[in-house]
Amino acid sequence: MKNTKNRPENKNHYVERFTKGWAIYIKNPMGKAGLIILLIFMLMAIASFFVPLLGPVYDPMTGADPNITYSTGPSFQHWLGTDFIGRDLFVQLLEGAKVAFIVGLSCAFISVVLGTAIGMISGYAGGIIDTLLMRVADIFMVLPSLVILLILASLWELSIWVIIFIIAIMRWPSVSRIIRSQTLSLKSRPFIEASRVAGASNFRIIFKHIMPNVLPLAFLYMTFRVTSAILVEAALSFLGFGDPGQVSWGMMLQWVWSSGHMFQAPYWLLPPGICISLLTLSFYMLGRAMDEVLDPRLRKEGEGE
Amino acid sequence: MKTKKFIFNKLIEITILFFIILTILFFLFRAAPGDPITRMVDPNLTPEDIQHLIAQMGLDQPAWKQYIIYIKNFFTGNLGHSFHYGAPVSSIILNRMPCTILLFTTSTLLAAFVGVFLGKIAAWKKGSRLDNFLSIGALLCHTLFIPWFALLVLWILAYKVGWFPLGGIISPELWIWDTSIFIKVLDVLHHMFLPLLTLFIIHLGSYLLLMRSSMLGVIKEEYIITARAKGLSDKVIRDKHAARNAALPVITSVGLSLAFSINGGALTEQIFTWPGIGRELIFAVSNNDYPLAQACFLLITAVVLIANLIVDLLYAYMDPRIKY
Amino acid sequence: MALLRVENLSVGYKSKHGLIHAVNNISFSIEKGRSLGFVGESGCGKTTLGMTLMGLLPENASILQGDIFFNDDNLAGFNDEKWRTFRGKEISMIFQAAMNALNPVIRVDEQIAEVIAIHNPQMPRTQVFDQVKKIFDLVEIPEDRLRDFPHQYSGGMKQRAIIAMALACAPKLIIADEPTTALDVIVQDQILKEIKKIQTALNTSLIFISHDIAVVADVCRDICVMYGGQIVEKGNREEVFQSPRHPYTRSLLESFLTLDSNGDIKVPEIRESPDLITITGGCSFAASCKKKCEKCENRNPGWVNLSSTHQALCFEEVIHKD
Repeated sequence: MKNTKNRPENKNHYVERFTKGWAIYIKNPMGKAGLIILLIFMLMAIASFFVPLLGPVYDPMTGADPNITYSTGPSFQHWLGTDFIGRDLFVQLLEGAKVAFIVGLSCAFISVVLGTAIGMISGYAGGIIDTLLMRVADIFMVLPSLVILLILASLWELSIWVIIFIIAIMRWPSVSRIIRSQTLSLKSRPFIEASRVAGASNFRIIFKHIMPNVLPLAFLYMTFRVTSAILVEAALSFLGFGDPGQVSWGMMLQWVWSSGHMFQAPYWLLPPGICISLLTLSFYMLGRAMDEVLDPRLRKEGEGE
Repeated sequence: MKTKKFIFNKLIEITILFFIILTILFFLFRAAPGDPITRMVDPNLTPEDIQHLIAQMGLDQPAWKQYIIYIKNFFTGNLGHSFHYGAPVSSIILNRMPCTILLFTTSTLLAAFVGVFLGKIAAWKKGSRLDNFLSIGALLCHTLFIPWFALLVLWILAYKVGWFPLGGIISPELWIWDTSIFIKVLDVLHHMFLPLLTLFIIHLGSYLLLMRSSMLGVIKEEYIITARAKGLSDKVIRDKHAARNAALPVITSVGLSLAFSINGGALTEQIFTWPGIGRELIFAVSNNDYPLAQACFLLITAVVLIANLIVDLLYAYMDPRIKY
Repeated sequence: MALLRVENLSVGYKSKHGLIHAVNNISFSIEKGRSLGFVGESGCGKTTLGMTLMGLLPENASILQGDIFFNDDNLAGFNDEKWRTFRGKEISMIFQAAMNALNPVIRVDEQIAEVIAIHNPQMPRTQVFDQVKKIFDLVEIPEDRLRDFPHQYSGGMKQRAIIAMALACAPKLIIADEPTTALDVIVQDQILKEIKKIQTALNTSLIFISHDIAVVADVCRDICVMYGGQIVEKGNREEVFQSPRHPYTRSLLESFLTLDSNGDIKVPEIRESPDLITITGGCSFAASCKKKCEKCENRNPGWVNLSSTHQALCFEEVIHKD
């Protein structure tokens, strides 16, 4: 804390806010644990980029160990064992981490950008636009995303990016609702009134005054969106409707299940499931700890005020 | 009187919403690559039957006429023929419906009651060992990947230990003979246990966490101090004054998380081969049985919408401040 | 003998920065049927005092020293179980209605009936509700509003219902903590009248806590002025308000603007609240006191008797300095 005070005067407001938030965040054991788990998965995802260096035998999709024609348990060559055609499970797990991050982060990003934009417009504009947008949000909110994806999967073959996009489309409404109510409360604050009186355009008010104030909240919701996106994609892959050209954790579970190895090969069944659950857990813990940074009421509770 | 009007308005709203979904679905099925005729009519039928079905669904008519016939067929309960079963789709899904409703309502209600109860206790003893245990347990339940957990349950409790059947809803051999109704009910319960357990555990976590945080908010309210000032016992304050208020947001969330529960329900049905709507949908999609998939989808949507209405009414019943 | 006698009471909060003395070495007593007012700015410890008398201190607060005698019982030594049978029956509290003191999902009559039922376990249900009706009559809430929910009540009616709740078991002492603060002036006036009427009718004792001098002066015959967790001046209404002797009481009365003094409005200066953690010795008001002398900074003032009923916690020479 002392260091921030000694910095020169023109220090960035956001940097200061970030360091303050970080100090609170890192004190939270839940946030710390979540961050550590997340870092491990990030390392896994990064490691997946170096897999090709091991040679074609270790390709998660097409590489099969020529010496192995059935699923084997952990060994020196294959740390977690292999699947029924001799593909290395550990490499698949690393690839799965990469896919999970791509799916989770891009889905969350798209849905939060969409949700924030719609929420701000809805809250700021009010009236008929607000009613209309929120009605649409209601419709999306009640629809089960997996069921929608299944129906679409029956008509088209969905690539991973299409899946990401559809999940994102299904997920914006809850973000919008939160951002909208935040915008509504901001709208009536004196500083917004003041800049309106001073002649600022709507565009300028939204981007200059409202956006910086709702962004932290939007960011928080991103962490929660990440988990649900990962879960939906994994479920879709598990049911056999994922991108057939892409190994993912859900796909690994689909293979162990459909090839009838689920009762024989725990070394194959356990890791992908544990990874999915742990990764969602870490994002969830991250979100909860961030919640505490953003919401002073929660913070007090922890201090026994 | 006001409540009646609310239900009426809500029903109209639901109908409009359903209409929109129906329309979107119509266009989706026609926007997809390939011939709509091969999609809606079983190619394995005799040419006469194919002609008959094409005429019945108006597939030889212009698009707008097709749409009108589609809507008309829907409201007269004619949803087409399943390719796989060779039977009217409506009879198939009506057959599957009770299984899904049985599993779904039982697990949701059980999880909600136990979750609310445990969440209440955890919040009341905040920071205690019990609270830590329950909160961490709930967090783990909440983030479990459903299919994986279901497979785990199946592997351990059905395959390894052998206490429960691997799937299905009944043991056919029991039903061939004239066994008593009591044995039959037990048989269904025996089959239902594992899918029920899976859904229960998954939902328990979120209800517990929600109730706990809601309860922690309520405990700080002034009326809790009032209740203490009256000299009421801890249990009365907790159950009568705090929990009733804290349960309100949980009810709302039951409605909001319904879509999520449907996802989980479909996955669970699939793994435990529970003959419900969710499994039927997955089956239909896997086998390109389009009329069946479409019907399952519409039925699930209808159930979600109606369940939301029930949740709204329940909320109004529980919270006297809201009168429709 | 006094109904309630508080002796050398200190209450502390544990916080991250150390122990906060919210109530510091307070002594007072109240006779049966009398009314005692506590006045002071927010943070002076008056609400903590009320909560201590009800046994409703939050978990991180505790009685550090002192005794609270109620008839022959020492409340300072009560356990949870004893408090439970005592609260609501012997001492009850009137809360602020605006603060959500009524449970929103329970009918008003039930909220009052449960006080009676818990302290009279043998009483049949019908008799309990007869009792409720009588009390509602007393606080002038129409009978057809009995089965309403709190949100159907106006602010004034809610406050009446809360008063009814406090009266339900005919307690010997009622503590009212800012009962009229959020109400508009006309309703406030009605409620104060109500409280006074009931207090004299039932001959209960009343402790009235408020930051509003006018309200306290209206309701109470005896006044305690609090500052920094201590009582700094006590006496009857006329003594304290017409001839205040403690410098704090004086500045408090000055800050209570009156327009009838020939347009000569004194604007009060802004004082800083004392730091309740560091007790360094010396008068707690010394930092803001206009009349302070050297002594005030390093020696604790004692009680100066001004009449048989009127006392101030100050130094003799400061009081008489003008």
